[in-house]
Amino acid sequence: MIKLENVTKIYKGDVPALRDANVNIDKGEFVFLVGASGSGKSTFIRLLNKEEEPTRGRIFVAGKDIGSLNGWKVPYLRRNIGYVFQDFKLLPNKTVFENVAFALEVIGRPSHVIKSQVPAILELVGLTTKVDSFPGELSGGEQQRVSVARAFVNRPLILLADEPTGNLDPATSVGIMRLLDRINRTGTTVVMATHDRGIVDTMRRRVIELDKGHIVRDQSRGVYE
Amino acid sequence: MAMNIRYVARETGTNLRRNLSLTLASVVTVAVSLTLFGAALVFAQGVGNMTARWKGGIEFIVFMQPSATQEQLDSVRTALEENPEVSQVSYIDKAAAYEEFKQLFSRSKDMIEAVDESAMPPSFRVAPSMSDADVIQALGQAFQKKAGVREVVFAFETVRTMQRITRIASIVIVAVAVFLLVAAVLLILNTIRMAMFARRREIEVMKLVGATNWFIRVPFMIEGLVHGIAGAAVAIVGVQGLNWAFNRGLSNNRDLKIFQGFVISGSQMSFTTLLLIGLGCLIGALGSGIAVSRFLDV
Repeated sequence: MIKLENVTKIYKGDVPALRDANVNIDKGEFVFLVGASGSGKSTFIRLLNKEEEPTRGRIFVAGKDIGSLNGWKVPYLRRNIGYVFQDFKLLPNKTVFENVAFALEVIGRPSHVIKSQVPAILELVGLTTKVDSFPGELSGGEQQRVSVARAFVNRPLILLADEPTGNLDPATSVGIMRLLDRINRTGTTVVMATHDRGIVDTMRRRVIELDKGHIVRDQSRGVYE
Repeated sequence: MAMNIRYVARETGTNLRRNLSLTLASVVTVAVSLTLFGAALVFAQGVGNMTARWKGGIEFIVFMQPSATQEQLDSVRTALEENPEVSQVSYIDKAAAYEEFKQLFSRSKDMIEAVDESAMPPSFRVAPSMSDADVIQALGQAFQKKAGVREVVFAFETVRTMQRITRIASIVIVAVAVFLLVAAVLLILNTIRMAMFARRREIEVMKLVGATNWFIRVPFMIEGLVHGIAGAAVAIVGVQGLNWAFNRGLSNNRDLKIFQGFVISGSQMSFTTLLLIGLGCLIGALGSGIAVSRFLDV
């Protein structure tokens, strides 16, 4: 599903953010990216979404070499990739329903699809009672659920999560992890960058550890350290 | 690409409302520049029509001395009528000349009271059969020396002066209009940029969930087009209004007799209207197109 071949990313004049990375992630896997701040976790994720271009090396997503992808095809790549952020990135002037619907609307889904899909996904994330609330009226955990719903409403093949529990307390984080685990069990490949030792140690999934851009550990059913 | 019309209409409407003052500034600038442009065009068309009318029968006027005798008048009349280069002659006698004089100076009563009919010069209005300016000039000059002739005035000179003034005025007006058009493009560009800045979170989300570039761009481009078209609509009303007011002023004011032939045909007005709408669209598309390509990092 995801393959990195000798991928190096160097930002302008800076030290390399990723050095000669080789990774192969199969369909349906759940992968934790761990490492200190600045170790290259976010770069790893941004490369998969083609937000950044690798300096060297090739990246395959769903069998396609995304380095050779035309600019106008990038949106279609991204429709196969859900994205969850540490800071949620919800639109404050839209309700929960509208935030999720927006993701379908802007990729041209007809309104009858939106009307059936959005309530279904909001039920999955457990927000049926908050449909008409605005993000400002929700707790952090609830906002992150909306964000997960928005990322998953289009049923992407891959879900990328960059520190999705970074702004949440441990109890709330557990709820979000249950949700991501559930999504993973539907066959969706999940790649999650995290600092959260407790979560990694509890879940016992594949762990890729980065240090100053190097992959120093790649272990199935691993722990944080 | 599936493009939801309701979505586009809603987003464009929100943008237009959000930046109401900037939207108004753009529309007003487009309107003023296009009004100037349209007015210059209509004026040039009017003068064109007017001089075209004179071209058909270029006139010169032989003014006689008020004291000219009947023999002198008859001699000039016969000379004109028998000249093969003259196609038509009309005689304006003292009474008719005084009527014109009274209309011309209708605002200054003392002037009319100071002059009576006997002081008026009778005149011959001449339409030559040739349109060659030099021939007409020579023909008119020939009457200059005849007994009882006071002065020969060529409409030709008036027409030339008219055309020259119109040309200079049009160039000045169009130059100002072009500066304003550039200002309008920049204002639209800035307005669209503000709209994009206000929606940067939406744009970020749209990019990440895989909205196509055109899907993101179109509402902003339509917003720019709306500015241009709204400005053009105001300008069309403005130009029609100016034309109406000018013609009304003409019919009420004998001082502007020189503009008697100033008439704009319906097809010329339609042409101007279409041109203004086209220019409005162009300005809007240009402003928003530059904004979208320079500042919308899709």
